[in-house]
Amino acid sequence: MIVVKNLEKYYKIAKRDPGLRGAVKSLFHRKYETKKAVKRISMHIESGEMVGYIGANGAGKSTTIKMLTGILTPTSGEVKVNGIIPYENRKQNASHIGAVFGQRTQLFWDIPVRESYELLKHIYEIPQKQYEETLAEFVEVLHLEPLLGIPVRQLSLGQKMRCELAAAFLHRPKVVYLDEPTIGLDVAVKVRIRNFIKQMNARYGTTVLLTTHDMQDIEEICHRIIIIDDGSVIYDGSIQDIKAQFGDKRVIQFELEHSIDHFVLPEEIRSAAVVIPKTDEDHHVVSVSFSSKEISGAEVISCMMKHYPVLDLTIADAKIETIVEEIYSKGLKGRVQHEEIH
Amino acid sequence: MLTRYLKLYYLFCKQNLKVMMEYRMDFLLGVLSVMLQQFAGIFFVKIVFDHIHQLNGWTFYEILFIYGIAATGRSIHHIFFDNLWTLGWQYIRPGKFDRLLIRPINPLFHFIADRLQQDGFGQLFIGIIVISTAMPHLDISWGVLEFFILIVMIIASGFIFVAINLFFATLSFWMVDSLPIVWTIFNLSDFARYPLTIYHKGIRHLLTWIIPYGFTAFYPAAYFIEGSGFQKLALLTPVVAIVSCVVAYWFWNKGLKAFTSTGS
Repeated sequence: MIVVKNLEKYYKIAKRDPGLRGAVKSLFHRKYETKKAVKRISMHIESGEMVGYIGANGAGKSTTIKMLTGILTPTSGEVKVNGIIPYENRKQNASHIGAVFGQRTQLFWDIPVRESYELLKHIYEIPQKQYEETLAEFVEVLHLEPLLGIPVRQLSLGQKMRCELAAAFLHRPKVVYLDEPTIGLDVAVKVRIRNFIKQMNARYGTTVLLTTHDMQDIEEICHRIIIIDDGSVIYDGSIQDIKAQFGDKRVIQFELEHSIDHFVLPEEIRSAAVVIPKTDEDHHVVSVSFSSKEISGAEVISCMMKHYPVLDLTIADAKIETIVEEIYSKGLKGRVQHEEIH
Repeated sequence: MLTRYLKLYYLFCKQNLKVMMEYRMDFLLGVLSVMLQQFAGIFFVKIVFDHIHQLNGWTFYEILFIYGIAATGRSIHHIFFDNLWTLGWQYIRPGKFDRLLIRPINPLFHFIADRLQQDGFGQLFIGIIVISTAMPHLDISWGVLEFFILIVMIIASGFIFVAINLFFATLSFWMVDSLPIVWTIFNLSDFARYPLTIYHKGIRHLLTWIIPYGFTAFYPAAYFIEGSGFQKLALLTPVVAIVSCVVAYWFWNKGLKAFTSTGS
């Protein structure tokens, strides 16, 4: 269904010296620098597969999806979706795909949801009978009934996302790209959305490529994940495999009595464990990741307690989330080579 | 193909009209303010002509006629193609343009059909009033043929406005938002509301052959004015409109191609 071979995308970025002076200077004289957003990516996704496409921010996920949808033309390499080269036959490709781009709405802002769907029906030339059947089904699964008469701009985030999802699947596309479909949603809505995606896949054999930072999404929906980092694929395989590879992985979260600005691991365990970089500003909590083959949990805990005032701790085992975090921060270097996994 | 797009346009229009009716106050205020703006322009011409009888050989009603054609032609652009103004800041910058690219219809069509601008109706209204006020005072007998030519001229005028705006809006594909340029160029069209003969030769050539705003008002109007000396050139108006649209659309496609290869 989706065939990608040695796909590359380079951007030219204007380089600018800092400050106002740099800005003025760049008006007259610009230096460009090439950013390699995607470097020789290859993948092969079969019809009906549901694949998680994950990577840190700026890893090249969105660029890849833009090339798959035909919005961007690759610098080099091959893309074929359903036998069509998307950037050459954008319109033809468009009638077979659906997409949800997290924050941006695909619906018409000012008009009621039902009328938005009506317009989409005409845009995608969906036969009336099929349209009615599909809509009735979606209304039931996603509980859209109370939302149909409301203009999109008045919907809450969760309501909007449910409507977006229905819009993306309305013309029964062969492939659907979901870019962060659950971002910022509460658990109940997330569950509903995941069920909907699974149901669509089961009923219509829709191929789904999902990017998300929510690992729960991945574990529940996808059988296969592709991890991309710095523009290259660093893992492509089943979730079970990666869990087995990293099955010895443990993470212990320590809650400290007072916050520590520049936390360093105690000398004794520094070679075997790493601190997981944090996204929030809470300096009370430190997460330490290590392999149970190299060092035991007990050793880590006792060592930490000897050097820091530990209040509380939680031990987590190999969740895909911690594995991915680890891969982002260290890469797969020294553990598994990409080729071996295939 | 064409019928499909016509039907789609009709459906988009219907939705846009519904939204318009929802914001009734906006609608009325918009129409009213544009009418006032137009009226102020005409009032200015009137004051000038209270003191002089002719402007470089042109009478008040002749100038009013030019003015009326400009307003009516511009209203076509204003009502149906107003979204062109928003390409940079509402579509490309926030990434909304991507949405148009994953739909199985022509992105320019989708982009244009996305909006219907109510304020333009004020312009249309004023334009028709001004033209019909000026018409009886021109030295011409109005038959079916004359009316037909007038309508063709007005439509051509509208499409020249559209083509010029489309051309400069397209620059947004390279520079994110070309609105200041579009705006500057658009202001040149004010020159074309007066007889081009009052300007320096350079400006006249610019407005005739480079940025053909001359064909949005002055030349088409001159067709109906005996002894204006531009009757032959005036007949080129529809040709100029077609050529401008073709050039602008070609440029748009180039811009689109650049956009899809660089991203925003």
